[in-house]
Amino acid sequence: MIDSTLLVQMLLGALLGLSVYLPLACGQLSLATPGFYAIGGTLAALLSTRVRALGGGESASGSGYPITSLLLEMLLAAVLCGVLANGIGAVVLRLRGIYLTIATIALVEILRVVSLNLTITGGAVGIFAIPQPFDQPAGYALFTLGLLLLVCWLCQRLAVTRPGLAMAAIRDDEIAAASSGIAIERWKRLAFVLSALVAGVCGVVAAHFLNAWNPRMGNFDASITTLAFVVFGGSRTWIGPVVGGLALTALPELLRPVGDLRLIVFGLVILLGPSLFPQGLITPELLANVARRLPLPLQQSLRLEKVRAQGEGKP
Amino acid sequence: MSSRAGPPPLLAVDQLSCLFGGLVAVDQVSLQVQPGEIFGLLGPNGAGKTTLFNLISGITRPSSGAVHWKGMAITGAPSHRVAALGLARTFQNLRLFSSLSCLDNVRVGLHRHSRQPRLQALLGTRAFEQREAELRLEAWQLLESMGIAELADRPSTSLSYGQRRRLEIARALACRPELLLLDEPAAGMNTTEKGELAELIHRIRADYRIRAAHSLTVLIIEHHVPLMMELCDRLAVLNFGRRIALGTPLEVRRDPAVIEAYLGSAPQEDS
Repeated sequence: MIDSTLLVQMLLGALLGLSVYLPLACGQLSLATPGFYAIGGTLAALLSTRVRALGGGESASGSGYPITSLLLEMLLAAVLCGVLANGIGAVVLRLRGIYLTIATIALVEILRVVSLNLTITGGAVGIFAIPQPFDQPAGYALFTLGLLLLVCWLCQRLAVTRPGLAMAAIRDDEIAAASSGIAIERWKRLAFVLSALVAGVCGVVAAHFLNAWNPRMGNFDASITTLAFVVFGGSRTWIGPVVGGLALTALPELLRPVGDLRLIVFGLVILLGPSLFPQGLITPELLANVARRLPLPLQQSLRLEKVRAQGEGKP
Repeated sequence: MSSRAGPPPLLAVDQLSCLFGGLVAVDQVSLQVQPGEIFGLLGPNGAGKTTLFNLISGITRPSSGAVHWKGMAITGAPSHRVAALGLARTFQNLRLFSSLSCLDNVRVGLHRHSRQPRLQALLGTRAFEQREAELRLEAWQLLESMGIAELADRPSTSLSYGQRRRLEIARALACRPELLLLDEPAAGMNTTEKGELAELIHRIRADYRIRAAHSLTVLIIEHHVPLMMELCDRLAVLNFGRRIALGTPLEVRRDPAVIEAYLGSAPQEDS
C-alpha cells in the first residue's frame, strides 16, 4: 500500500512539519518553511546540474551522483538558509502574532516570484534532469529516514534541555519569561534559524528525489499544507508534527482509489481533526499516559519517568 | 545631584515620568532604595505603583527621568538585562507559565544559572544530568521554602490563588536577585494569609542570607496599610503618579498629604 516513493514523501512531510514546529515551540507562527525549502531545492538543482566538479553536470543525468556531493549540498543549503534566516529573523521576529505570520507569507511569495523571473532558475519551467544519488526510491527512503531521526533526536534534546524550557516559557508568557532573565529575541531567532535549516536541507533531498524543481514547490499552498501537519498532529511535542506530516502526506495518495472524492475526504479530515482533537492528535498528556503503561525498566531506560524532585531532595 | 558619601544606593529612581497619551501615570518620581531594607510603595488604585515597577524592570520605557542600579544607568534597558543584573519581580496579575509544572516554573527562574556546555547538554552526559539534578533540587527547595513543595509536579494552573502567588515568589527568588520587587503579593488573600505574608517575607530574607552571600532587599507594593506599617523600613506614598510622602512608617502615617489622599481632606483641627 505504501511504496518507497510515498514513504520518501511522507518522511519529507514529517521533516517539514518539524520545521514549522520549531518556531511554534516558542510561540512564533512562521509560515516561512516553504521559502527555505525552495531555497534548498533551488540550490541543489543548480549545483548538481551546473557544477561538474560535484559529479553531476549535463552528462550524468541518470544515477550515480556522489552522496558526498549530496551531503555537501545539504551543508551549503544549511549555511545559506541559516545565514538568511538569521538576518531576516532579526527584522521579522520583531513582529508578533498574526503580523509575523503575514510577513513570512510575504517572504515565501517574494522568493517564489523572484525564482519565477530569474533565468538561472529556469523561470516557470524550472530545472530538469537533476542527477540521482540513489538508484531506487528505497535509497532515498533510508537516507531521509536517517535525516528525520537525526532531526527528531535534536528536537528531543532541545525539548529536555535549557533551550526547550526557555522556549516553552516564551510561548506561555513573553513578559514573565523576559523578567526571568530570558533573552527572548535570541531564543526566537534560534528557533527560526533551526526551522530554516531543516527546511533547506529537506529541499535539497526533495530536489534530487523529484528529479525536477520549479518555483511552484515553495508557494503559499505549501505553507498551509505544512501548517496543517502541525495543527493535525499537535504542536506541543515534536512527535505531533512528525505524525501529522506522515499521515497527511500519505492520506491523499491512499485515497486515490476513491477518485476525486478523495479531495473531499481529505478536506473532512483536516476539518474534523482539529475539531475532535483541538490540541492535535499527540498531546503531552497522551504521551504521559502511554509512558505510564510501559514497563518500568523501559521507562527508566528511555528516561520517560517523571523526575521526582522529592525523591532527590529527601534522601 | 548632591555629593554623597559612601556607596550609591542599590536602586535610585530619579525624576522618573511615564506618559500614556495625555495621562501622566508616573510624574517625576524620585526614590532611593538602600541595600538590605524593605521599602514599601503605598498608594490608592491608579496611583502609578505598578507602572513604576514596569519602568524599573524594563517592561515599559519611561518618558523621562533615569533609573540607576548601584550607580549605573539602566533606564530603558530590556527586561532580561535588568533581571540579569539582580532585579527579580512578581506580577500583580500573576504571570505563571501555564503549560509548565510548578517545578518547571521555578526552573525557568533559574535560567541564567543553568547554562551548561552545549555539547554535554546535547549528548546528555553524566556531568550534565548531575548538574540538572542539582538545579531541580534547588528549584524544589525554593518550592519547599514557600510551602508548596508537594505541588512540584502539578501544572501551575491547578493551584489556588494564594499558592500561585507563592509560586511566583519562588520563581523570582530562583533568579537569585539582590532586589525583589513584589507587586501586591497579598492581593486576594484573606486577613490570616496577609498576616502570614509578613512572616513569609521575613523568613525568605533570613533563608536568603544563608543561601546567598548577600542580603535580599525588597521593594513591595501593597494596599494593606497595617501590613506595610509593620513590614517596611521605609515607605513612599504615590497619588496620581506623584510621590506625596517618603519616610519611616511613623512619619508617613502622620503626613497630612497621606491622610488627605486616603481619607479625603482632614478637618481643620490643628489650626
